[in-house]
Amino acid sequence: MAESTSAVNLQKVKPSIVEEFVAGAKKGFYIGAEMIAPAMVLAYVLIQFLEITGLMQGVGKLLGPVMAVFGLPGEAIIALVAAFFAKAAGCATAATLYAKGVITATQATILFPACVTMGTLIGHFVRIVIVANTNQKRHPLLLCVPLVDAAVAMIITRVILSVWGIN
Amino acid sequence: MTEKKQEEYKVTWKGWLALIILLISFSGIFAQSTGPWRALDFQVLTGQFGKIADGAIFTGKGGIGARDGFMFALTLFPTLMFALGCVQVAESLGALRAAEKLFRPILRPLMGLPGAAGLAFVSSVTSSDVGAVMTKGLVEDKMMTDDERTIFVAYQYAGSAPVVNTFGTGAALLPISVLPVGVIIAIIMFVKILGANLVRMYLYWQAKRELTTGGAANG
Repeated sequence: MAESTSAVNLQKVKPSIVEEFVAGAKKGFYIGAEMIAPAMVLAYVLIQFLEITGLMQGVGKLLGPVMAVFGLPGEAIIALVAAFFAKAAGCATAATLYAKGVITATQATILFPACVTMGTLIGHFVRIVIVANTNQKRHPLLLCVPLVDAAVAMIITRVILSVWGIN
Repeated sequence: MTEKKQEEYKVTWKGWLALIILLISFSGIFAQSTGPWRALDFQVLTGQFGKIADGAIFTGKGGIGARDGFMFALTLFPTLMFALGCVQVAESLGALRAAEKLFRPILRPLMGLPGAAGLAFVSSVTSSDVGAVMTKGLVEDKMMTDDERTIFVAYQYAGSAPVVNTFGTGAALLPISVLPVGVIIAIIMFVKILGANLVRMYLYWQAKRELTTGGAANG
């Protein structure tokens, strides 16, 4: 009985739509301040460093043939490597590569779902695979899945873009 | 018990409406229309910064390094705040419950998961942690087998919390992407389900192989 009345009370104090929006927007602000802004600064500095030292061109040449499968230049691998550590860093790096003119908007779009799919693999391994208490025997298998998914995502995005006639 | 509670929850028309509006606004189908329908599109409502002079926005032109990165990050705040505000409102109106109603019956054919996983499945769309904790609970309550959990976690792990993360961590690419954000999320959801099915197939194949080799050893 006591439980049901407290449940009713909880229903009554449910925040209004305006309050919900404000709470969500606030969450968005903090994501921006805590994750996006630091990731953008890191990505811009990293790419600036790679460009000045000439490492970017080297990476681009080395991985060109592999990335060409996905319709991307070799330099795009930098975004995927950054994504492995953090989704935000991967997306920020892809945006930076676009700003620098290394990749086109279409190529940045191909990287978008892939960076989110294979992003933050180590951090989320703990937060999802370990927290869900998954069978340890399956851990190596589970670690590979997002990488395969990301590769498929890039191919699918490429196909959708070409079907819609965007190049 | 928890299963029963989930069943009793009634999805109101508000929940359905919120889900439909959310899907429409992220899909970008009204982005190019000229009528008042445009007002439903996420990108249209996100708007644009004004131009200062010579077509430059407040971040300026030709910036480089950390300073330019920071200025670009500043331009993403409105998108992030607006997107997560909308998601939160839709969630509070019961849009996720409505989505759960849609998905619960097809979880078995889709990924070989029991209907009891419905709430965890839908919760994982906006939160990495809630889905994982609920999954653990489902196995502990004997509503899901160990193999089903492996399949489910394979789904959750790749592209975790796709809706929030596409807007949140993907914010930098939102203004650049040539595809509507809804299409990006749809691609992520598709590969998530595909990956889960690859694991499902692998586990099925392995169980079958163990059965035959085990049988041979015994016979």
